[in-house]
Amino acid sequence: MDGNEIVLSIKDLHKSFRKDDGELVAIEDFSLDIMDGEFVCVLGPSGCGKTTLLRIIAGLEEPTSGKILLKNNEITGPGSDRGMVFQEFSLFPWRSVRKNIEFGLEIRKIPKEERRKISDKYIDLVGLKGFETSHPYELSGGMKQRVGIARALANDPAILLMDEPFGALDAQTRNLMQKELLRIWSETKKTVVFITHSVDEAVFVADRVVVMSARPGQIRDIFDVKWPRPRDRASVEFASLRKKVLAELEKETGMNR
Amino acid sequence: MKTGTIGRLKRAVLGDSERKLPKSVIIVVISLVVFVLAWWALSTAFPSEYFPTPYDVGVAFIDSFQNPDPNTGVTMWQHMSQSLVRFLWGFALAFFLALPVGLLMGFSNVAETFGKPIVEVFRPIPPIAWAPFFFIVAGLFWGPVMPVFLGVFFPILSNVIFGVKSVDPLLLDAARTQGANKRTLFSKVILPFTIPFLMTGIRIGLGIGWMCIVASEMIVAIGGGVGLYIRVMADVGRYDYMFAGMVVIAILGIVTTELSGNIERRVSKWMGMK
Repeated sequence: MDGNEIVLSIKDLHKSFRKDDGELVAIEDFSLDIMDGEFVCVLGPSGCGKTTLLRIIAGLEEPTSGKILLKNNEITGPGSDRGMVFQEFSLFPWRSVRKNIEFGLEIRKIPKEERRKISDKYIDLVGLKGFETSHPYELSGGMKQRVGIARALANDPAILLMDEPFGALDAQTRNLMQKELLRIWSETKKTVVFITHSVDEAVFVADRVVVMSARPGQIRDIFDVKWPRPRDRASVEFASLRKKVLAELEKETGMNR
Repeated sequence: MKTGTIGRLKRAVLGDSERKLPKSVIIVVISLVVFVLAWWALSTAFPSEYFPTPYDVGVAFIDSFQNPDPNTGVTMWQHMSQSLVRFLWGFALAFFLALPVGLLMGFSNVAETFGKPIVEVFRPIPPIAWAPFFFIVAGLFWGPVMPVFLGVFFPILSNVIFGVKSVDPLLLDAARTQGANKRTLFSKVILPFTIPFLMTGIRIGLGIGWMCIVASEMIVAIGGGVGLYIRVMADVGRYDYMFAGMVVIAILGIVTTELSGNIERRVSKWMGMK
C-alpha cells in the first residue's frame, strides 16, 4: 500500500427500499475507509445488501442518506472513474472482445489508435491474446470475465468494483481466476472492493475482510489478513482464520442461533 | 432404414461424392414434387376450365412474360415491376416511419402512453379495408401503396418497441459504469440491441406487405400490377393465366421472405445474438 492515502470513504450510509408492507432497510450505519491499493472483500449472507452497497459506490443507485467520497469528491452518479465487474459478465454480445474493452474509451472519444494501444495492453494483461476478434458467445465463462475485468480496467479507474465476479464460474475456474485477479491486481496496483459470499475466496484474496450482518446490512466485524500472497489454502493459519470468519458469518445466517 | 431412401436419393442426385446437402433441402424438393403431382392428378381426374393442369399454367406463365396480354396491353414483366415498385414504396415508407416511432415509444413512457391508443385503434383494421379510401384520395399509383405501408408498419413498430423494452438492464448498468450518458446509451446499447428485433419485424412485414399489394390492386383494379392481372384474367375466363399470376406472386413472396430471413439470420449471428 503506497502512502496509506484514503481512496474511498463511505460515511454513515443508509439505504432503504419502499415495499408494499412498509420499508426494507438494506444498509444501515455503514462507514468504511478504503486505502489506496487495498484489496477489500465485503462478505455477507445473501440479501445483506452487499450488492446494493457496491451499486451505490458505482453510482447506479442513490443512498437514502450518508455519502461516499472518491478521492474527496462526493459520488453523485455512475462514471468511468469506477470500473465495475458484474457477476453475469454483462458483456455487449454484438461487440468483439476488443470492442467490448474499448467501449468506455469510445464513449470518451479517445482516438482510434490510442484506443487500440490501450485495449492491446489490457488484452495482454488479462491473457486474451489471440481472442481480440472473438465474440462473447464464443468464450467460456472464465474468459468472459477476463473481458469484463479488462473492460473495467481500460478506463484506468481509481477503484475496481467487483460484484461476486466469479460466482457464476465452476470451482476450478474460480480458483484459477482468483490467482489471475491477484496477479492483475499486483501489476496494476488498483484499489479493489470485492463482493463475495465465499469465506474461502475472501480469505484467499483480501487484505481486509469486512463481514456484514443481514437485514439491515451493517458491518459486523473486520478481519485483517496480513499474510503474503500466494496464500496456501491448506495451511493451518488459513484454516483457522477461515473458521473464525465463518463463525462470525454463521451467527448472521442463524445457524448458531 | 428410414434414411435409406433419402440417402439413395442423395447419392442419385449428387453422385457418390460426400458433399453435404442438408436433409431438409431434399425433403423440401420432394414435398414440392408431391404437390405438383397431386395437382396434376386431380386436375386430370376432374377436368374443368376453372382448374387447369400444372402444364397449362406453366405454358400460360411463360407466355405471359413473352407476349403482352390483349386485355391490359402489357407483359407480366410490366405488371410485376408495377407491383414491385409500389411494394417497395410502401415498405420504405413504413420502415422509415416505424423505426423512429418504435424507438421513441419503446424508450419514452410518455410517447408510449400517448401513441398506444392511436396504434391500437388502427392496428385491428385490415390494411385492405383502407384500399378503396386510399384509391380515392391517393390515386392509381399511391392508392395501392398505402395498404402495403400499413401492413408493414405495424409489425415493424411492435417489434422495435418490444426490442427496446427487452434491453438487458445489466447491459445498461455496464454501459453507465463505463461513462455512458442517455444519448450514448441509446446509440451504443439500445439501438444495436434492437436490430435483430427490427429484422424480425421486417420479415413479418414483408409477408403481410405482399398480401396487401395483390389484394389492393385487385380492389382498385386500374393502373396495372399483378393483382390487377389476376382479377382481369378471372373476369375474362382465362383461368390458366390467372393461376400463372398467382404463381408469380408466390415466387416474389418466397424470394423476399427468404432473402429477409437470410439477412435476419446473418445479422443475428454477426451480432452474436440469437
